[in-house]
Amino acid sequence: MTTAARLNKYRSIANRSLQNVMAYRNSYIINLLANSINLVAIFFLWQGIYGGREAVGGYSWDQMKTYLLVTFLANSVLSWYSETAISGKILDGSVAMDLLKPIDFQTARFAETLGASLLEGAMSTVLLIVFATFLTGVTFPHSPIVYLLFAVSLLCAVVVKFGVVYLAALLCFWSTGSLGIVWTRIALTNLLSGALVPLAFFPDWLEKLALLLPFQAIIHTPTMIFLQQADTWESLRLIGIQLFWGAGLWMAGKAMWNWAVRQVTIHGG
Amino acid sequence: MSMIEARGLSKSFMQAVKEPGLKGAVKHLFLPRHIEKVAVKPLDLRIEAGETVAYVGPNGAGKSTTIKMLTGILMPSSGSISVNGINPYRKRMENAAQIGAVFGQRTQLWWDIPIAESFSLLKDIYQIPDALYRKNMDLFTEMLGMSEFIHLSARKLSLGQRMRADLAAALLHNPPILYLDEPTIGLDVSVKEKIRGFIKQINQEQQTTVMLTTHDLGDIEDLCKRLVIIDHGAIIYDGTLSEVKARFAKNRVIFFQVRSPMPELYALLEHSPGLKLEQQSSQEFSVTFDRYEYTASEVVSRVMKHGEVLDFRMEDTHIEQVIKAVYDGHLDLNEHRGARGQAHHDDSSPA
Repeated sequence: MTTAARLNKYRSIANRSLQNVMAYRNSYIINLLANSINLVAIFFLWQGIYGGREAVGGYSWDQMKTYLLVTFLANSVLSWYSETAISGKILDGSVAMDLLKPIDFQTARFAETLGASLLEGAMSTVLLIVFATFLTGVTFPHSPIVYLLFAVSLLCAVVVKFGVVYLAALLCFWSTGSLGIVWTRIALTNLLSGALVPLAFFPDWLEKLALLLPFQAIIHTPTMIFLQQADTWESLRLIGIQLFWGAGLWMAGKAMWNWAVRQVTIHGG
Repeated sequence: MSMIEARGLSKSFMQAVKEPGLKGAVKHLFLPRHIEKVAVKPLDLRIEAGETVAYVGPNGAGKSTTIKMLTGILMPSSGSISVNGINPYRKRMENAAQIGAVFGQRTQLWWDIPIAESFSLLKDIYQIPDALYRKNMDLFTEMLGMSEFIHLSARKLSLGQRMRADLAAALLHNPPILYLDEPTIGLDVSVKEKIRGFIKQINQEQQTTVMLTTHDLGDIEDLCKRLVIIDHGAIIYDGTLSEVKARFAKNRVIFFQVRSPMPELYALLEHSPGLKLEQQSSQEFSVTFDRYEYTASEVVSRVMKHGEVLDFRMEDTHIEQVIKAVYDGHLDLNEHRGARGQAHHDDSSPA
């Protein structure tokens, strides 16, 4: 099989996945609305915290506003749909239908995730631009290189987040419910990626620990690049670390999958 | 070599054992105990290219487990499988490219996009050449009457439409082997007929090997010459459908309608071994007899000696009844395994 033909399979899957999320546009819009309300709430919370202060944990209020917006974008690129689709497949047993196809399960799921991310990312970007025009003081970088690096790191963040989501989803082979696993994963990811508060706010030991884990590649890295807290070389180094985690988690996912399908029964008749 | 060949194929699962009540649940939490449950006992199965085989058995007999092992989605506990020369478990992707499968309870169609899109995705997944894809799409659309719903998403289809679309999806790449797990479950008669006709034609035209599990005996009678019955994880019968009928469907029933009651006949029949009388009304009754002991004409002429017969009709035992007897444990096919095939030659001796 030629590489082109192989790629074509997965491109086609990504395409159908994109069509599929479009079919869910109403629920997606409602979801986006919920996220926006959440963003507004967090915005006012931080505004309260900054009341009368110049800076918190080294972040000025203007930087914090930018941080919140970038976090919102990075978080919504891979949304609830993608986060639950894989564990859902395993829990309801429809994974059996995927195993009947001459496709690699992991690559197919990644293609699906990318397809869905395309729409989700685009919608969030639009929403973000709307927000940014109403806010004053959001600091946008001037150099096009920063935008390029940011785009690359955002893509890498998707790869890392997919790795985490995929590994957690495979745990569903051993459990009969996904909610506990999903919530644990979300809590861990939000805390250790910097989605809740910037890692700089953590006590020293926790910050150090967080920087050693893959989660920081999901939010911390893109925000560092966008806020220009890392120069070009440092940004490239951070992207390198993202790639390291992306590849590492991918291989871990592959190994776990190979082991899981040997071990377990597929639910349902 | 056979198209599908399984040797000593078996599958066991670990099953949690919990003692009853809260105490048992707590105990299981700290000291989980498992027992091995054998779903499929070591079995041998050979299916030749172009055959249509019905694989039947009661719920939980091990049918689906066998099919899952043959399709490569479940690893056998022991034994070997070769499907068209490929080990389906070791080479799942290669095997997947040469099989088609329909699991009646599931769909492979995308839920929220038009099914035409699901089909064109399969074209890319199986790398079906343009010409073949168009030819198959045209043929399947016509044969299965899909044109009225091909633009709809799977969510909007009725069960019958969905099943037809799933069947088409499984065959788009002209697979040499087709597995069907309860393909007609819950369908109305006309859709069932359409589906059976379609499978029959594909099997005849492309020599597709078909393995079918079903609870619908119409499927078996319409489609399959060979019948494999599995129960409690073991194959208890493997042979032709007509042989099962010849050997086990030995009872025939003749229903009579007569001008006036025949008390002396009734008394006589009460004392004839091998004949069983059942009265429906004063002028209607049926006689059940063993086809190897009596011929139909013997029975009819006996009745006609005692009075005027207005009408009569004869019924053979349906295969349903035979298989039901096996399921219920009333009939042990294994007992007769040694005598297999003799029914054809030795019609006078009851099996």
